[in-house]
Amino acid sequence: MTSTPETAARSVQRGRLSRVGEQLAVPVAIVVAIIIGAFLSDRFLTLGNLLNVLTSMSIVGIVSVGMAVVLISGGLADLSVPATVAAGAIVTLAAQPVLGAGSIVLAVIVGLLIGTINGLLVGYAKANPIIATLGVSTACLGFVQAFLGGSIVYGHDKALVDFVNSRPLGIPLILIVFVVVAVLGHMQLTRTVWGRQIFAVGGNYAAAEASTVRVRRLKASAFMLTAGLASMSGAYIGLSLNVAQPLIGTGYEFDAITAVVVGGISLLGGAGSISRALLGVLFVQLLTNILVLEGVPDQVQGIAKGTLIALAVGLDVWFRNRGGRR
Amino acid sequence: MKQEGRSDGSGATGKPRYAIRMMGIAKSFPGVRALASVDLAVRPGEIHAVVGENGAGKSTLVKILAGVHTPDEGRIEIDDAEVTISSPLIAQRFGIRMVYQELNLVPDLTVAENITLGRMPQRRGLFDRARAVDDSERVLGDLNAKLDPNELVGNLTVGQQQLVEIAKAYLADPRIIVFDEPTSSLSEHEAAALFAVIRTMRARGIAIIYISHRLREVLDLADTLTVIRDGRAIETRAVEGMTPQDMIAAMVGRELADLFPKRGAPIGQIALSVEGLGRRGVFSGVSFHVRRGEIVGFAGLVGAGRTEVARVLFGLDHSDAGTIDLGDRRLVRLTPIQARRAGIVYVPEDRKLHGLVPSMSVRSNLTLAIIGSLSRWGWIGARRERQTATSLIRRLGVSPPLPDRNVSTLSGGNQQKVVIGKWLATNPKVLLLDEPTRGVDVGAKAEIHQLIGDLVEQGIAVVLISSELAEILAVSDRTYVFHEGRITAELSRQDATEQTIMTAATGEVAT
Amino acid sequence: MKRISGQSVLATVLSYRVVVALLLTIGISSFVVPSFFGERTFSLTLDQASTIGLIAVGLTVLLIAGQIDLSSGATLALSGIIAISLQPSLGALLGAVVGVAVGLAAGALNALLVIRFKIESLIATLATMLIVRAIAYWVSSSKPVAGVDIDASLAVTRSMLGIFTPRSLAFVLAVVVVQIWLSHTVAGRNLFAVGSNVSSAAASGVRTHRYMLGAFLFAGGMAGFAGVVQSLSINTGSPVLGDTVTVSVIAAVVIGGTRLEGGRGSAIGTLGGVLVIAFITTAMQFQNVPNYMQQIVVGSLLVLMVLLDQLTGARARAAIRPRRFVRRRPFTPS
Repeated sequence: MTSTPETAARSVQRGRLSRVGEQLAVPVAIVVAIIIGAFLSDRFLTLGNLLNVLTSMSIVGIVSVGMAVVLISGGLADLSVPATVAAGAIVTLAAQPVLGAGSIVLAVIVGLLIGTINGLLVGYAKANPIIATLGVSTACLGFVQAFLGGSIVYGHDKALVDFVNSRPLGIPLILIVFVVVAVLGHMQLTRTVWGRQIFAVGGNYAAAEASTVRVRRLKASAFMLTAGLASMSGAYIGLSLNVAQPLIGTGYEFDAITAVVVGGISLLGGAGSISRALLGVLFVQLLTNILVLEGVPDQVQGIAKGTLIALAVGLDVWFRNRGGRR
Repeated sequence: MKQEGRSDGSGATGKPRYAIRMMGIAKSFPGVRALASVDLAVRPGEIHAVVGENGAGKSTLVKILAGVHTPDEGRIEIDDAEVTISSPLIAQRFGIRMVYQELNLVPDLTVAENITLGRMPQRRGLFDRARAVDDSERVLGDLNAKLDPNELVGNLTVGQQQLVEIAKAYLADPRIIVFDEPTSSLSEHEAAALFAVIRTMRARGIAIIYISHRLREVLDLADTLTVIRDGRAIETRAVEGMTPQDMIAAMVGRELADLFPKRGAPIGQIALSVEGLGRRGVFSGVSFHVRRGEIVGFAGLVGAGRTEVARVLFGLDHSDAGTIDLGDRRLVRLTPIQARRAGIVYVPEDRKLHGLVPSMSVRSNLTLAIIGSLSRWGWIGARRERQTATSLIRRLGVSPPLPDRNVSTLSGGNQQKVVIGKWLATNPKVLLLDEPTRGVDVGAKAEIHQLIGDLVEQGIAVVLISSELAEILAVSDRTYVFHEGRITAELSRQDATEQTIMTAATGEVAT
Repeated sequence: MKRISGQSVLATVLSYRVVVALLLTIGISSFVVPSFFGERTFSLTLDQASTIGLIAVGLTVLLIAGQIDLSSGATLALSGIIAISLQPSLGALLGAVVGVAVGLAAGALNALLVIRFKIESLIATLATMLIVRAIAYWVSSSKPVAGVDIDASLAVTRSMLGIFTPRSLAFVLAVVVVQIWLSHTVAGRNLFAVGSNVSSAAASGVRTHRYMLGAFLFAGGMAGFAGVVQSLSINTGSPVLGDTVTVSVIAAVVIGGTRLEGGRGSAIGTLGGVLVIAFITTAMQFQNVPNYMQQIVVGSLLVLMVLLDQLTGARARAAIRPRRFVRRRPFTPS
């Protein structure tokens, strides 16, 4: 199957114009979107609306941080996010009576466990990431539903719900959490040994291995991180809504992949940054917001997202083939 | 379209026609002139061998025949008519078939299906398997190859797969078949079968071009021989009456300008000592030692097993027999991380594949192997890293000296320096260099040799694997010559000459 | 890597694993479901399996060609919706034809992205899946669409030859036809070549792009057909259909011995894999095992199969082919 990414090194020499173009494309697109949005609707540039955008961006943003790391490490994608989000939500609410706020920690642990399974399959057994995470997702979702006996879970702690939905200094809590995660993620990728090695593993697996980098462990860790972040998001969603059902996480994986790919992180691995992922999330959210304000039905948004992925990947391939030297 | 029955090419009709004539072929690539001017003529029913050193231009010539490259100058005639071979499919249409060392078969189809791929017989709209099997059996029978047409190609040995590849070419009724190093992966037995097949093809009037390092084979098999050296056809003559020595002399005989001044470094104790190292099916009985301050060359033809030995020394592959001693420490069950810690490092052959991460900067590539030691609690000490990178860049003379430049923008020579630098940063005791100046321009080559000289002066022991005789001769204090997985000679600096090395590399000396 | 003794035994077992799996599941199921071998139960099982089965046959052909399609579930939904929605205006039959055409269009879109824009099929069909699913929601306004032709619905579900329904008959026919095509036509053999070593196929003059296009169209068409028949049988088109179909289809195909990397597979094997999934599902349904439990089993099964493939596939193949003194890289020119 031509779907396994090549890990052989590519000596890509891009023309200066093409490289600059690549850097600026998404920021320019964002500016354009803002202009169009302001033009189309006077509600667009209001503080309330913009805060809305930032808030809705936050959950997807947290998941996107993890997805970005998976892509950069050459892991293609993690499709088990919906299951992990649901698991996070359900575990948090279900364990609330016993553990109180500590149930969030339990949720993250469960997420890490799921991520470990993914990591073992992809990093050590070298299974195809899409198929493996798809399988794990299905099984996990089933476990989650089995655990619930087919029903939904309600939360009991009103105080916690209020806290989670609070706005310290006028900024939604989730936004603060998102910013913290993004900043930590960025520092982790750019300033730590782990981050450096993640780039190496994605950039040229064979060379990294030959350079004594612990490649398998690193590849697995990317999946663990994503799952942990996803379950944390799930915990938040569950708490803020005070209810959790198994399908609560549907769609987040594709939103995250769209955002990350649109932001310019290559599917082949080895390049990218958290900031790019964030720009991608921002752009997609702005687009969604504009469409919502214009009363465009949900479903068209789905079409737009799918088209965006195709466009973004297609452009990436095009740039690579055009400016590159093999 | 078979030729009139002739087996010696001299022409029953009296007029020798050439199946293919190449005249004045020249080809250059950016920075390298692969072929200066080559003439080659092959008659139908002739086995014409092409020999030459690594890098003499044989492969480029072959690629021109195959339609992969087009010549910059020169003329090609097939059956006395001028042709332009602009693509591999066009080459096939002219009746040129290639059998490369890298086989290109479909492992999940049967022998018969592979042989008839692209021209499968049909009957009433369905695949006529019986006829495909018949055709295959006929062709295999003609070539005296005993294979089961219904066996999956993926289940065959390399030698058998090669026979399938040949049968496939043969079924297409070729005019000319080109063999490029066909026996490197074959056992004695399989090679003998191959030769029988080639002789059969000669008897049927096919023109055969046979490229090989193996001089005995060439003497055995070929009618005519052309020697290529430095992009030119030096000599073409009948094989009859030639000795291996004659061939070596022709391949190699040129003035060796002393390009690389050799400096003496103090040679100390034994840094690395290897006894009886073996890896099943790859090499065996390898014993050698390297002293501090010494440059030991590993000479030999491509595929002789030198890279494989180095990989074992670095823990990338395991050995089945023998011992490795680093100083007074015996290394057992080595992994790359342990090797690095012990002080042996390996700079791989293919820097693009195993050496560099093209998406990262020069600095990141330089510090990749030691990044852990430049950090505290997992956080990279940015200043320490920068200092390390800068000093390495200076020491190696990387140009341009910009640590944050993306490494893939550097020239080949500078990229190679970065790879070497990455391993230097680990403060090794023993440095295994595998073809460090391959694909590097002359200036950078000299710089790298200079660098190696500096390194041994600091007491590092260096093993230099190279297929370039001039380099080995210029730089090595001692040379081990490899041939088919064994060391056939250990030569001191005085004893090492192109003749002696080549002789040992082609297996002409008693082991 | 150390060679495990008995490796070749394991390899053989694995290559016949579909048979082993089938026997196991039949064995277990016959215990669990008392009327298992009864006509009625078997007919029901087969009919239910046929939706997955039809898609699986399409996917088998595509996988053999070296590509994959994740969008079949979405295509399933959209074709059904279109077929049902057009019933009032075009009638059941014509509506069904258009529905299948929708499937073909989805396949064409996949082919365009993969062949023309050179996007890997994994990502391309992921994108298509999003687009098609969104279109399905859009066209149906996120609500199920009710059909108007009860007769058509009955026609599709009636019993034929005792144990078949039109759908399961179509499935079995598809298996037979595809199997014959794969083993006994030149085009079928060429398809294997395309998936197993595309450069060898191209060098031998096989028109690889045409085969890939055909494979995508076939996979899309089968998904479309399955969707149309599914929607007709329940007289409803719904945008949520086929949500979990993709995983079951991939599991069935992998159990059946078709290789995800391309170049190997068979329709008969897929039939076996589909039956395994079907029998497990039936057995679980009979025990009133809830749907999510079935998901656990199917998901875990897929993971297990993939794992087995990875851990033993490479080694098994290496064991079969003795290598001797192989040069690592081709001769590099000056």
